[in-house]
Order: sequence, then structure tokens, then C-alpha cells
Amino acid sequence: MNELVVETKNLNFSYSKNKNDIQDLELKVPKGSIYGFLGPNGSGKSTSIRLILGLLKKNSGTVALFGELFNEQSRLNVLNKVGALIENPSLYEHLNAIDNLKISANYRQNISSNRIQEVLETVNLTKAKNKKIKEYSLGMKQRLGLAISLLSNPELIILDEPTNGLDPKGIIEMRTLIKDLNKKFGTTIFISSHLLSEIEKTCTHVGIIRNGKMLYQDTVASLKDSKGTNIKVEIEVDNPNEGVSVLKNLKMENISLLDDLLQIEVKNKNEITDVIDVLRTEGIHIYQVTIKNNLEELFLSLTEN
Amino acid sequence: MSTIVYYTASLKNELIKLKRTFAFWLTIISAILFPILFFIAYIFEHKTLVPAAGVNPWGKFMVTQIENSTPFFIPMFIVLVTSLIMQIEHKSLGIKHLFALPVPKSSIYFGKLSIVILAIIVTYIYYYIAILLSGVLLGFVYPDLGFLNFQPEHFQYLKILMTSFVASLGIIGIQFWLSFRFKNFVIPLGFGMFLAIIGIIVSQAPQQSIYFPYSFSVLSVSLGDKMPLIFGISSVTIFSILCFLITSIFGYFNIKKLNIK
Repeated sequence: MNELVVETKNLNFSYSKNKNDIQDLELKVPKGSIYGFLGPNGSGKSTSIRLILGLLKKNSGTVALFGELFNEQSRLNVLNKVGALIENPSLYEHLNAIDNLKISANYRQNISSNRIQEVLETVNLTKAKNKKIKEYSLGMKQRLGLAISLLSNPELIILDEPTNGLDPKGIIEMRTLIKDLNKKFGTTIFISSHLLSEIEKTCTHVGIIRNGKMLYQDTVASLKDSKGTNIKVEIEVDNPNEGVSVLKNLKMENISLLDDLLQIEVKNKNEITDVIDVLRTEGIHIYQVTIKNNLEELFLSLTEN
Repeated sequence: MSTIVYYTASLKNELIKLKRTFAFWLTIISAILFPILFFIAYIFEHKTLVPAAGVNPWGKFMVTQIENSTPFFIPMFIVLVTSLIMQIEHKSLGIKHLFALPVPKSSIYFGKLSIVILAIIVTYIYYYIAILLSGVLLGFVYPDLGFLNFQPEHFQYLKILMTSFVASLGIIGIQFWLSFRFKNFVIPLGFGMFLAIIGIIVSQAPQQSIYFPYSFSVLSVSLGDKMPLIFGISSVTIFSILCFLITSIFGYFNIKKLNIK
């Protein structure tokens, strides 16, 4: 049986009386996983994270971390094993990175100054360690927030939209860092994001939430399998209209034009070659063939009604 | 880990957070403001202020200064400095981070409250040193004022300051809770300033205002010998300490249960 690091049962919460912000949420985050918590803006991702960390008082249900019910008695013990970055990082802007890390280290106790240097190195901020946070860019702040959550070598890291405000290079670095932590130390990582591509590239498990309800929860692999057997292909040709009529003769399903690009669905990858052959015999030039990621569409169909 | 360890860690961190903040400078500015004004007044008026032979000039200099500035100024200073110290936390979105750390919420609340009280005590100390220095300086500039010929009676002046500090504890409890509770600093600041002014006005009617914490600072000085006593202790002192204990404990339980958005 797979051990669960985070488990919520029948979790309910509302900010106001007439609206349920979180409904019967059943999160299951297995140990050693990278769990992607996916949902559109305002779907209740941050609220769920705050409930897990005990920042909000749940209306009903239970939260268990590391198999231990989260309550007043277990709070310190449980939080000791957690590092969290909740939305915008909490940083003292008038202080430098070292001071900011020192503050968290003092609160957590038993954290050496070597460890402070280490996490700065990990997030690539050693050069800027004596700069005031005021002078940091959004991406640097995000990285320092991550460094703070890494300080205590936690067993579980909770990151709320960690790639917010990062440039493409920063996003790739963050992704590598998350994977490394998971691989080297077996750290369980819980990431929330509204970007499917992000979750798909990083995570082993996924939970999709909308309007405070869990719509889907499983491994990323089975999400990919569940999307149906057809492969969607997009083809750029010199004469799209002729292309459509040629392909229609082939009696293929779901042929359409979108922004002058041919859209077709094939049953397997071999059929792609067939399609190309047919187009080429008709003298149509092909500039590009792309297999479309229909996880994106699945995500949209799951989250739009 | 014991409560003491958590509490000292919290204190240490609060001191780091105060570095280079306006709250830190406010303690110094507030402390030297009135001594500078009195120094200037003595410079201009020194002819009329030369004491009779054999009279200690320190008595008049210290007592008038303390009694005419501290009671009115201290409540406003407390309102301002408490809001500023809490704003450091609110501005950095720190509370959600702090409350997700493996640290008892009590060590955070009372650690911060202790730092606010410490900042106020430090201001009193700076203030006292500043008055003494301005007196000595006047003695050098105008020897006929006699400041260098007499010793200040420290015990008498420190007693007034001590009474004024204890009388302010009540509003420290209220203002600290408000500043912690509301992210928007206009709420504790506006509320506090308004009541501080009301406190000065209603202190004209001591019989009623003796139950109003924002008047305690003025009453502790203005009532003098007429101060009603409870078990031989000034009633303003007792009410102020009670108000402080009740609001601090109530404030802590309120903050502990708060949803951190």
C-alpha cells in the first residue's frame, strides 16, 4: 500500500455563509510523488493549501499529514516536516536575503549558517545574498521564497504557483530543481498551478479542482491514457482548402481547418504517414506536422462545465 | 522544545526585523523632540529662568518638561509605533508564513508584543538621557542657570516616568491587538489617534475618565495627590495593568482562531 503524505477527507470550507468554497475535498498525495494541483484561477487551490497548513479553520472534515491528524496537539510536530511557499513569498523587503533566511532559521531552530549558504546556492542567489529584497526582481523573490521553504530539509514541500512571475529560464530551473529534490532526497512535492503544461512536465500525480470540487485525481500517466485513443494532428500546407478536399476523399474523421491549418484525428501514428503520402501525391507542399497535445483540451473540458 | 526557546527565538527575530525601519528611528526622534524644544526655549528665555540662589534648577526643568509633554504625547506615540512595528509584518505578508512554521502562535504574538513594549521602554530611556544631556549642555552655555552646580534628583523624575509608562500599558494591549488583527493600518491608527485625542479631552472630567484607558496617561500625572487609591495603589495603575492583561490575552485567543487569508 502506498503511504499518503497528505490526505484530506470530506474537507469543507466557506469564506461566507452562502457559498461553499471547498466541497468534500479528498486529496491523496502519495509519499515520494510530485503532485500537481491543477485548476483555473479562483478554483480553490490556495484555499485548499491554507486548509492543509491550518491557516484556515475548516468547517468539517479532516486533514492528515504523514498519517497524523492535523490538530492543535500535532501541529508543531507535523509542520516541522513541511516547507511551504504560499502564493507571494513572505519576505522582509528592507532586509537582505541572509537576514530573511536567518529569521526562518531562528524560528525553526537547529539550522546552521552553512545550510543558509547551501540553499542560497541551490536557488542560485549566492551573488545577490547581501542585496536588499527591495532590489530583487519577482523571479528572485520567488526563488528566495523557495530557498526559505527548503531550509529545514522538509519531507514535504508545498509550493503555491511557484513559477508565477518567472521567466522561461527561471521556469526551467525551477522544474529541474523540483525534480532533483524529489529524486535525490525523496521529497514529496505538492505544487499548485493553473498551467497544465507545467504540471505535465514535472508531476507524477495530478489532481484537478474546479469551484472547490475535485474533478479528477490520479497519476499523470493514467490521465494521458484516459484522453481517448485518437491522436490529433495539425498540418501546415501551402494550399489548405485543397488539402481538406483531398483528405475528405480518404473518408477520415474530424477533418477541419483552424487558422489555415489542417486538423485531423488519426487512430495511430502510422496513419500520419498515410496522410502525408496522400497530400504529397496531390502535389501539396507540407511545411509542418505537429501532434497536438490534447491534455490541454481535456483540461479545458474538465474545467469548463 | 520549551516555550522559552521559542520565545527567545521570536524576540531575536523581531529585533532583526526592526533593522533600518522607520519604527526604529521613530523611537529616537520621539525621544529627542521635546528635549530639543525645551532646550531652545531655555536658550531664548534663559534670563527669566535663572533660579534663585541655592535652588536646584533640575527640579523645575525636569518636572515641567516631563509633566507637560509625556502624558499627551505618549498615547499617540504608542498608537503610531505599534502600527508601524506590525506593518513590517503585514507589508511582507509575513503572518501566513509565520503561522505555517512549526512555532507556537503564542511565541509569535507575545514575542512581538514584548518588542513593542521594549521599543516604548527604550524610548523612555532615550528621552531621559536626552533631557539630562540638554540640561548639562545648557549648564555649559549659560552657567548662571546652575545646571552644573546641582545634581538632578533622579529618583523623583524616574518615578513620574515609571507611573506614566505603567498607565500606558492598557492602550498598548488594545493597540497591539488591533494592529495585529487588521492588515490595513488606517484602522488601528485612525481608531487609536481618535481615542487618544478623546482621552486628553475627557481627562478634564477625572471621575468618569478614570475608566477610559486612553485617559490614563494624562490622569496619572494630572491627578497627583487626588488620585483615588485601591489597596493603597493608584487606581489608574491598577486599571491600566488589568486592561493590558485582559486585552493581551483576549487578543491572543482572537488571533489564534483567525483565518489567515
